[in-house]
Amino acid sequence: MDQVIQLAIPSRLELLPVLDRLVQGIAEQMDFSEDEADAIAISVIEAGTNAIQHGHKKDASKTVEFRFNLNPDHLQVVVRDTGPGFDVDAVLSSDPTRPEDLMKSSGRGIFIMRQMMDRVDFAIRPREGTFVYLRKSKDVNGRGVAPA
Amino acid sequence: MRFSQEREGGVLILRLEGQLMGGGEAEEVRDLLLSSIDQGTSRILLDMGEVSWVNSSGLGILIAGHLAARQRGGTMKLMNVGSRIDSILNVTRLSTIFEVYETEEEARRSLQGSNA
Repeated sequence: MDQVIQLAIPSRLELLPVLDRLVQGIAEQMDFSEDEADAIAISVIEAGTNAIQHGHKKDASKTVEFRFNLNPDHLQVVVRDTGPGFDVDAVLSSDPTRPEDLMKSSGRGIFIMRQMMDRVDFAIRPREGTFVYLRKSKDVNGRGVAPA
Repeated sequence: MRFSQEREGGVLILRLEGQLMGGGEAEEVRDLLLSSIDQGTSRILLDMGEVSWVNSSGLGILIAGHLAARQRGGTMKLMNVGSRIDSILNVTRLSTIFEVYETEEEARRSLQGSNA
């Protein structure tokens, strides 16, 4: 059965480092490597950044919710804001590493998440908000599991 | 985010500490970079040795500084970049844009050689 850890923070960018410490603790408990822990933390912080900046327009009276589902073979993180959502297809079809887009000052958050995690999904639900689902599987041939 | 600044031989050395994540004092870094460049200091060295995190908003600040310096014929370089930030620069391919030096000595030497 999954263990669940939940956290809600006001929409203030300076609070995001709290997530780093939480993710490091969860990653250690789940026996992820340091690199994997960093990849998860970077992705969760990017999802939080988007929720605060775009979802809530930095309105500190609104909270961003983080739900960590600790499964034996993977970690799923759900990040929720109550903003109106965004054009998922447009964002997913953009590539900020294209030479003509490389110097743009924004538009990298979701790209970074998709590079760092095994799977990233989105759901935009009227009256409920915007949900980002981040998934990182444990490497069965890696740390903690001896190869056959 | 905290920072201190040194000016030496036309070079602005900005030593950053904490998280470069947009908002609050991170925006002060952007303002300082842009105002310094506007006032004619276009050779800039960012010491990232004490920076624990850069998110996509922080990358936007670095890009703004880089572009502004370049527009003035100058340059902005990074030094003492940690592994997490290095990883973000690589994933976003901004590692192909920013010149990164391992030591302050190397970084200073490279700036002495630039014309701006």
